[in-house]
Amino acid sequence: MDGARGGAYHPVVESDAARTVTIDAPRPVAQTTRATAVDVLVSLTASDLRARYGRGPLRIFKWLLDPFALVGVYLLLVTFVLSTGGRAPGLSIACAVVPFQLIMSTVMNAMMAVTTRRTIILNMGFRRALIPVASALTESVAFLASFTLFMLMMAAYRVEPTSALVWLPLVVAANIFFAIGIAYPSSLFGLWFRDLRNFGLSFIRTLFFLAPGLVAFSQIHGRAHEWLQFNPLTGLFEAYRAVLLFGEAPAPWEILYPCGCALVMLLVFVPFYRSEQRQFAKIVE
Amino acid sequence: MSRIRADQLGVRFLFDRQRNVVSPALARLHRRGTAAWGLHDVTFSMEPGEGVALIGPSGSGKTTLLRIIAGVLSPDHGRIEIEGRVASLLSVEAGLLSVLTGRENALLLGVLAGLSRQRTRAVLDEIKSRSGLGGQFELPVSSYSQGMRARLGFAVADAVDPEILLLDEVHEALDHEFRDVVEERARRIIGEGGIVVAAGHDHPMLARLCSRAFLMSNGEISSIGDFTGLQRTYVGLGHQGAPVTR
Repeated sequence: MDGARGGAYHPVVESDAARTVTIDAPRPVAQTTRATAVDVLVSLTASDLRARYGRGPLRIFKWLLDPFALVGVYLLLVTFVLSTGGRAPGLSIACAVVPFQLIMSTVMNAMMAVTTRRTIILNMGFRRALIPVASALTESVAFLASFTLFMLMMAAYRVEPTSALVWLPLVVAANIFFAIGIAYPSSLFGLWFRDLRNFGLSFIRTLFFLAPGLVAFSQIHGRAHEWLQFNPLTGLFEAYRAVLLFGEAPAPWEILYPCGCALVMLLVFVPFYRSEQRQFAKIVE
Repeated sequence: MSRIRADQLGVRFLFDRQRNVVSPALARLHRRGTAAWGLHDVTFSMEPGEGVALIGPSGSGKTTLLRIIAGVLSPDHGRIEIEGRVASLLSVEAGLLSVLTGRENALLLGVLAGLSRQRTRAVLDEIKSRSGLGGQFELPVSSYSQGMRARLGFAVADAVDPEILLLDEVHEALDHEFRDVVEERARRIIGEGGIVVAAGHDHPMLARLCSRAFLMSNGEISSIGDFTGLQRTYVGLGHQGAPVTR
């Protein structure tokens, strides 16, 4: 490439011809043996998990202990050492910290997802548009281990499970959907602005503190109460609290608003990502 | 039957002021940058049963062209049509992830290459056997030599039963024994109406596989013709290449 012809650009404008580029898909292998999107997702996720948790019988313990290493110690401190007010403060905080951990770790994973798979990207064509989803799914598997924290907190505060738990799968699904939504912009950000990844993570942390993470939404009043509703994490945190702490069905907005935000991110960034993934091999070289 | 047709292909690289490669979207944010065509106005066709060598100095666009055929890159200009299942071995790392074992890598890359998980699982032992890695197939790839990685990469690529095989200098990392395996497989693909495209500086091997060659220079195809003739032209230009002995 070094000796290739060059020139300045101010700014870059794609030629019409570039938009008419077509690549006929290589003829697939026999239908019954062809990889589906699910196959690709499962394989990317499984390899990610294998790299994280290793092999052998101890990996299940690593998986279960990971959430305690990340947030469990902090929660246990709040629950058993600090004397804080409010109803089951440790459980209330867990209802924010645990779902936030899924978002945070998905963002971290997605930011590195393309460069981590550099060797594959440079060697073969595959469904690269699925990489951010695989990041979210990897972290979702890790996230499921965090439910032991919820159980521990509920036991510690003697909060009995109620029939509202039937809403939990919906709340978790909304949480994962939001993680998938934010994975796409995170992946692009991590690739474009490698030096600014820490700023990206700080922005996500800021979203936590601009949501009712440490105190319940009902304890926040005035203008802050109105503004915090615009943060999609508010709905997620409150939905977990409703189901696990208060034994109620979550309010519709608590599910719909984060899902709506995720949908907007997907609608905006998936086409963008699909366009950009054609350039990945140039950037990760 | 396999076929590759390219019409006025172009691949453009965009750089920011620090000479980092940036994507077109990001380039819009940079007021000053430069652009360079890594591949420019490349038109060719490859027909069934052909072995084609890409020769030329480093930076002439050989790898970029192979990457376009492999689907690693998309052209910024022009059009390419590919008929046939493609398998590629374009880097010494062969797409392998160091933390995973040979088996785990094979399972991942088999699926990414187009096989279902079920089918990939079914051919894992075959891949192990073809790679010749033996027990080291179960060890992390971080413990592999370059040659071992290339062996595994080729065994996985071969598992998809390719009709078009792309090789980029990687075979030069292979030991002689496995080179014979690769050559034999490449010849079989050509014999069955497939296409082999190989780039590199190991001209004796290219001569055994390829009847035709593209001489590349500055991102363009400067000549297309018989391999032996073009190889002489290339060496005559002062470039080094191992002598061809048929």
